[in-house]
Amino acid sequence: MKDILWLIQNTLSVTFRKKKNIVMYLCMPLVGIIIALLAYGGNQGTTLNVGIVNHDNSEITTDTIQFLEGLDNVEISKIAAKDMKDKMTSGKLDTVITFEKGYSDSVLKGQPDHIQLTSIKGAAITGYVKSYLYQFIDNLSTISRAADGNEQTFKQLYSAYQQKDFKLGTHSLENAARSKNMTNQTIGFLIMIMMLSAANMSEIILLEKENRTYFRLLSTPINARKYLLANVIVNMIIMTMQVLITLTVMKTIFHIGLNVSFVDAFFVMLLFSFIAVGLSLLMIAFSNSRSAASALQNLIITPTVMLSGCYWPVEVMPKGLQKIADFLPQRWALDTLTQLQEGQSFSSLYLNYAILFAFAAAFFLIAVYKFSRNNSTQNFV
Amino acid sequence: MNVLEIKNLTKKFGDFIAVDNMSLTVAEGEIFGFLGANGAGKSTTINMIAGLLRSNDGTISILGKNNAKQSRFAKMNIGMVPQDIAIYEDMTAYENVKFFAGLYGLRGAELNERVVEALEFVGLQDKHKSYPKSFSGGMKRRLNIACAIAHRPKLIIMDEPTVGIDPQSRNYILTSVRKLNEMGCTIIYTSHYMEEVEEICSKIAIIDHGKIIAEGTKEQLKSIITNTKDVWIEVKTTEKVNLAAIQDINGVEAVSVDENFIKINSDTGVNNLNKILEHFMNSHIEIRSLQEKAPNLETVFLTLTGRNLRDQ
Ligand SMILES: Nc1ncnc2c1ncn2[C@@H]1O[C@H](COP(=O)(O)OP(=O)(O)OP(=O)(O)O)[C@@H](O)[C@H]1O
Ligand SMILES: [Mg+2]
Repeated sequence: MKDILWLIQNTLSVTFRKKKNIVMYLCMPLVGIIIALLAYGGNQGTTLNVGIVNHDNSEITTDTIQFLEGLDNVEISKIAAKDMKDKMTSGKLDTVITFEKGYSDSVLKGQPDHIQLTSIKGAAITGYVKSYLYQFIDNLSTISRAADGNEQTFKQLYSAYQQKDFKLGTHSLENAARSKNMTNQTIGFLIMIMMLSAANMSEIILLEKENRTYFRLLSTPINARKYLLANVIVNMIIMTMQVLITLTVMKTIFHIGLNVSFVDAFFVMLLFSFIAVGLSLLMIAFSNSRSAASALQNLIITPTVMLSGCYWPVEVMPKGLQKIADFLPQRWALDTLTQLQEGQSFSSLYLNYAILFAFAAAFFLIAVYKFSRNNSTQNFV
Repeated sequence: MNVLEIKNLTKKFGDFIAVDNMSLTVAEGEIFGFLGANGAGKSTTINMIAGLLRSNDGTISILGKNNAKQSRFAKMNIGMVPQDIAIYEDMTAYENVKFFAGLYGLRGAELNERVVEALEFVGLQDKHKSYPKSFSGGMKRRLNIACAIAHRPKLIIMDEPTVGIDPQSRNYILTSVRKLNEMGCTIIYTSHYMEEVEEICSKIAIIDHGKIIAEGTKEQLKSIITNTKDVWIEVKTTEKVNLAAIQDINGVEAVSVDENFIKINSDTGVNNLNKILEHFMNSHIEIRSLQEKAPNLETVFLTLTGRNLRDQ
């Protein structure tokens, strides 16, 4: 243990004495925040223009529209169905909500239907109107199910609901969408930097083999297992710092609301750092030179980071690619954070954690198996 | 007690047998030379002793303990100077030695003392703050040694520590090997340079094709071949020399050419000098000098293995 600590300490001090490494490992993750600010920072205060096409004149419909009007930064205008296309393509409207005949009846029956949300902009824009709207409608239908068709009871429950819970949900929609986007952008970038740094740190193993220092180390009381463990620990330390720095700077300097508790976000990213280390070891195990490793890293990291929605929302990609993204650990990390942001409780996402953990475990196991095989063919102890 | 005991050691790389059923004992206080041509199996043997390579068969004991079963004990007592320079370019000379010494559990003031001592030993104390990038080949070799001795091992293994370096560094290294030995270290020393081995080693093993073909002190080895002698004839030009014809002369064991010298190894019991000189006269080859040599290790090696140590 003493010798492992010695190795760790030495690697850290040699790594961070180079300015290049400080920039690469500790400053680069923050670039994501700046990109996010550039991309979404200007959005603050702009309003979302929502057109309403109403074919269902009833109390419930009017209330629903009123609810939408009550949201911050949302501008409601009533339009005719035939103008819908024009107004959207010309950019006057961001999205149009159509209430078809039978909407309020369906809500009262507890099975909401006959409502349509049309948009030519990405889900990033409409997602939040959608989620608030559906939440509202869900609440209505829950009430009506509780009333069990009795109009009197429904009215009572409904007015009680309007007075109490209703206002709760109307905190700034635009801000929530914006901060979700910014978080995604920042964390997406952080994920990429984490993967690159992990790959770099693991590459030290190959560098030491090429420099022969690895073999010299094995002639000291250090053995291959201890050496590998020290490398993994250094790697984890660096990634933990990256996550802490990014989350802290986001929160305290740029005031980007995570909408997730710091601890929860940290836990998810910590799980991801195991994945990053596991994957980087795997890539090293299958390369016999640093150039081979670099090629493999380029081949794997950049495309998977793109596919998994670290640079842009997955929703903008074709369905087929989205399916592929489901097999990528980065996607699962981002998805877990998104679900937390959307209000899922930490404990309800255990399946997500299990999947993230499984990715890490699989990568580590294959890497260690491959390492031990490499060693036995080269006959090194 | 014997510092090193090797019994029936065998190492195969695929079908190739690099070390072949080797047995060897190195007693405390010895400077033990491994002499062998390229690919003889010296480094392979050494790597197994240092615990870097697994053997296929046989046992190695360091200070009486099996080096596979008690690897930590073995490693703590060995200082390995690898054939390929293994130091960190992005750490100073001081940091390099400190790092490796620290792996043996040294800390604090004691660690610092030992590091300084090791650097002084190889004559790099003035360069302790410099990075190896700026070092000459010889200085890197010396640092390579310093990294292996700071923890004061009982057994120091040096795999060709003097390859490709300037005479000053070489002298420094040879002197420090002797000093280490005087301080009580047992040393295993491999080299291509016959003169070095002859100069510093108290015992020598000649290795060829993974086997020890002769072992003993210089004198013992030389006595193997005292029934032959060497005659060196310096000629103006070697063009017209017919080696095969000389080889055919009665009593001649071996003939080789080294620059302008014709080196003839010949049976002491046969008086054939006249015959040899006659050959040169008849071929009209101008003789510049003639000397008779006592046998040295080079001739021992040549006679035993049939090949030269270097350049093959
Ligand atoms: N990892 C390996 N795989 C296959 N063959 C090997 C391996 N290591 C060494 N050999 C072979 O084993 C033989 C002995 O090699 P070794 O390095 O021990 O020789 P050496 O006596 O140290 O030579 P040199 O003077 O060149 O250092 C050589 O023929 C070499 O090609
Ligand atoms: Mg060798």
